[in-house]
Amino acid sequence: MDVLRLATLYPELPRERTRLLDNLGRVRREVGPITMELSDALADHMNIRRGEVHEVVSFYSFLQVPTDAVRVCTGPVCDCLGARDLLESTPGAIEVACLGHCDLAPAMTRGDEIVPSVTHSTNDGPAVDLGSGDDTLADYAARGGLALLHELPTLERIVEELKASELTGYGGAGFPTGLKWEAVSREPGPRFVVVNADEGEPGTIKDRYVMELRPHLLVEPTVLAMRMLDASEGYIYLREEYATARARLQEALNEFRAAGLLDGLALELVVGAGAYIAGEETAMLESMEGRRAMPRLKPPFPSQVGYLGRPTLIQNVETLAHIPAILRNGGEWWAGLGTRGASGTRLWSVTGAVAKPGCYEAPNGITTRELVEEHAGGFTDEVGAVVPGGAASGILPPSALDAPLMRDGLQEFGAGPGSAAVQVFPTSYSPLRLLSETMRFFAEESCQKCTPCRIGNRALHHLSEELQRGEAVMTREKVDEWLLAMEKTSICGLGQASPFPVRGAMQHWPELFEPLEHV
Amino acid sequence: MVAFTLDGRPVSAPEGELLVHAAARHGTFIPTLCHDDKLDPYGGCRMCVVDVEGAPRPLPACATRVAEGMVVSTNGPITEFQRTLTEMLLSEHLNASPGGRPNELIDLANELGADAPLMLPDAKRAEYDDRNKLMGYDPDACILCARCVRYTQEVMQCSALSLEGRGGHARIVPTWELSWLDTECELCGGCLSVCPTGAIYEKFEEGTSRPERQLEQVRTTCTFCGVGCQIDLNLDPQTKHIVKVTSKDEYLPNEGNLCVKGRFAFNFVHHPDRLEEPLVRGDDGELHPTTWEHALETAATGLQKVIAEHGSQAVGFLSSARLTNEENYLIQKLARTGVGTNSVHSCEST
Repeated sequence: MDVLRLATLYPELPRERTRLLDNLGRVRREVGPITMELSDALADHMNIRRGEVHEVVSFYSFLQVPTDAVRVCTGPVCDCLGARDLLESTPGAIEVACLGHCDLAPAMTRGDEIVPSVTHSTNDGPAVDLGSGDDTLADYAARGGLALLHELPTLERIVEELKASELTGYGGAGFPTGLKWEAVSREPGPRFVVVNADEGEPGTIKDRYVMELRPHLLVEPTVLAMRMLDASEGYIYLREEYATARARLQEALNEFRAAGLLDGLALELVVGAGAYIAGEETAMLESMEGRRAMPRLKPPFPSQVGYLGRPTLIQNVETLAHIPAILRNGGEWWAGLGTRGASGTRLWSVTGAVAKPGCYEAPNGITTRELVEEHAGGFTDEVGAVVPGGAASGILPPSALDAPLMRDGLQEFGAGPGSAAVQVFPTSYSPLRLLSETMRFFAEESCQKCTPCRIGNRALHHLSEELQRGEAVMTREKVDEWLLAMEKTSICGLGQASPFPVRGAMQHWPELFEPLEHV
Repeated sequence: MVAFTLDGRPVSAPEGELLVHAAARHGTFIPTLCHDDKLDPYGGCRMCVVDVEGAPRPLPACATRVAEGMVVSTNGPITEFQRTLTEMLLSEHLNASPGGRPNELIDLANELGADAPLMLPDAKRAEYDDRNKLMGYDPDACILCARCVRYTQEVMQCSALSLEGRGGHARIVPTWELSWLDTECELCGGCLSVCPTGAIYEKFEEGTSRPERQLEQVRTTCTFCGVGCQIDLNLDPQTKHIVKVTSKDEYLPNEGNLCVKGRFAFNFVHHPDRLEEPLVRGDDGELHPTTWEHALETAATGLQKVIAEHGSQAVGFLSSARLTNEENYLIQKLARTGVGTNSVHSCEST
C-alpha cells in the first residue's frame, strides 16, 4: 500500500539524480520509512538502478527510521551526563551518535522536537552578535543588515578585507577564506556556492545557534557570494537533526525571496539524512549528487572541481556569518578583536561540566578557563579532561586550562582548535571512557571506503574498551604504526584526524596505557 | 610524453597515465587490491600509496596521473604503510579461501610478512546464503574493495550487488539481500572474476581440495556463440576434467568478461549423454553409430530426394547460434548456391 501512496507523489518527485536525497526525505516524511519496495519504486521512477538507491538508503542513519522516532544522543558529552540512563528509561528510543545539542545534554528528540525544548545560552559579541536574535528580515535590516546586498562591494574589496582579517574556515580545517573566494573566482564559470550547515562534530553547536538565532546573517553573505561569483545556484546543506534551524532558515529564505533579494538566483536547502561524514566537503557534494556520502580523492579540490564537476565555493555557516561584520568595519578591525596574537573572534561551543553550557562569541586565543569563567558560568566540577575543538581535536589534561585555544597554544598538548567546541569533562568521567566513546563515534561514522579509517577506528575503539578493563589487545609499537597509517593514508579528515584523541590520551595519561607495554 | 622521476630515475610516460601503470612499464610493481583496469580509479584500499614530492601526504598510485616534473618514490618508508594496511585488512579477514580462488591479500601478507595483530570483535559479518547453484559468497572473505559492485555498475550496467551501510556495519550484498536470481543479475560471474580475495566463488567448488592455482589451464575459444570469447579451461591435473572456466583481462575480444554460459555451462563436456560420434537411424528405427562419411552421405541423399520430389524451395536451413560467423556464412552459401533456397535462418535471430 505504501507503494501506491508513493505513486500519487510521483508527479511531484523530480527525476534528476541530484534530487534523490530530497525525494527520499520527502517519501520518508509523507509515506513512511524507506523500505525495499519504496526504494525500488523510487529508483524506477527516477530511472536509477535499484542497487544504487539501496546503497544510498542504507548509508544514512535515518532514512529507514520513522520520522517520529525518539532519538537519544550518546555523544561523549551526553554519555558523560547520563545518556545511557535516559536511553534505558525511554522505551522505544533509538541510540544515535550525535544530535548536535550538547548544551542540552543528555539530548533527546521526539520527531522534530527537542525534548524538553530548545534554549539558548549566548552573549553579545562584536561580529556575529548572537545575544539578541533577529525574528524577521526587518529586524535584521534594522540592525544594519542587508547593507551588502543593497550596495554590492567589489570582489577585489571583499578578497582584500578577508585577507586582512585573516579569517579562516571555521568548520575545522581552517583554510584562509580570502584565498578560497579568490581561487573560486579565478576558475571559469558556471560556479556554485554551497553552505556547509552539516555541523556534526560532537560538541559543536555554533552553526545551529547562528541559524536558529540569526538565520538572515547566514543568508546575506551567501547571496553576496553567489552574486560575486556569478553563481546562479546555491545550496545550504543542513543536517537532518536541526529541525528548528531548518524552519528558521526556510522562513528567512522566503523573506529574502519576497523582498526580491534572490531575484535571478536559486538558493535552496538540502536536508541530510544522518551521516557525520556528509559534513566533509567532498562527501557533501557526493551526497548532493545523489550518491553515498563518500569523500572524493583530493586533489582536485572543490574550488576547481566541485558540485557537478564545476568550481564550487564551500563555506561553513559561522565563517559566512563573520563576513558582514568584516566588510562593514574592515578586515583589520576584525583581526584586532583577537587576543594573544590571534585574529578575530569565533563562536565557542562550551559544554559539559560548566554552569551555563551554550555558545559564546569570544576572541581567538582565549583560554579554556577564561571561556568557562567569563562566559559559561564557571566549572561545576573538578576538571578531569577537556576536548578543545570537537571530537577530533585531541584530549587535554587539566593542566591545559590556561593554554590559549589556538594552533600555537595547543601544539605542545598534541591538539588543535578544530571547530572550537570546548567540552569539559569532570574527574569522575575516565579519560579512557571519553576516548572509547570518541573512537566509537568515528568507527560508526566512517564511510568505510578506505582501509585505515574503516578498520583503524574500530581497532582503536576496541583497544580503548579493553584498556578500561586493564587489558591490551595490541602492542604500543603496533598502535603507533596504525595511528601513523591512519593519519597519512586515510582519504579524508575523518581518518586523518581521529588519531589525535588517541595520541593526546597516550601523552597525558600514560599510566592508563601501561598494559600496552606488557603485551 | 612527460618526464618524471621514479625512485630517483628519470623516466617518461604519456601525460595523464595512471602512476600505477607508468611505474609498471618501468619495472616498478606497486601492489593494489581495489584497482581494476576495467573500472574507474577508486583509491579505497590505499595499498598503492606512494610519496609524491610536494604533496602533503602519500597519494594512491591507482588514482594519481603522471605530470611533468613529478618526483615519485615507491620504496623507502612508504612501504611500511603497505604492511600496516595489510595487517588491518587481515584483522577482519576471517575466511581466506571459501571456494579455492586465489587470494591476493594473502599473497601480499606472505610477501610482506604481515600478520593480523588482533582480530576485530565485529569482524564476523552476517552469513549470506543464495539459492542459486553457480555463485557462492562468503562475506567473511570480503575486504570491501567494492570491485564487484563497481563491476556490476560500470561494466555490466546492472543492479545485482550493493555496497550497504557504513562504518563497521558496511558490507557487500546482492541488492536488498535478495537472491541473485531475484535481482537483475544474469549470473555472468563478472563480480567473481574481479574479486581479489575469492569471497565470491564458483559454488560447485565450495570447500574445494583443488585450489585454482593447482589446476591446469588450456586456452580455447568459447563455443557458445559467434563472439569468440577467449577462455581458459581449468583442468584437474589428475582426471583432466574441466573444473571451472576463467578468462583473462588481456584476452580479446572479451577482455576477461564472460557470460553465464561461457563461464558456467561446461557440464556438457563430460556429460554421459553427450554425443561423441555420428548416429544414423537404421531400418529398425533405432540410431546406430557410424562414420562421418556415411552419416554425411545419408543426409545428402535425403536432401537430394526431397529436392527431386518437391523442388529446392522445400528445403530450409536452420543454423545454430553456437556456430561462428564463418560457419554461418558457409551454411547460407550451401543453402543458396548448393541447394538453391533462400530459406536460411539462425536461432540467434530470435
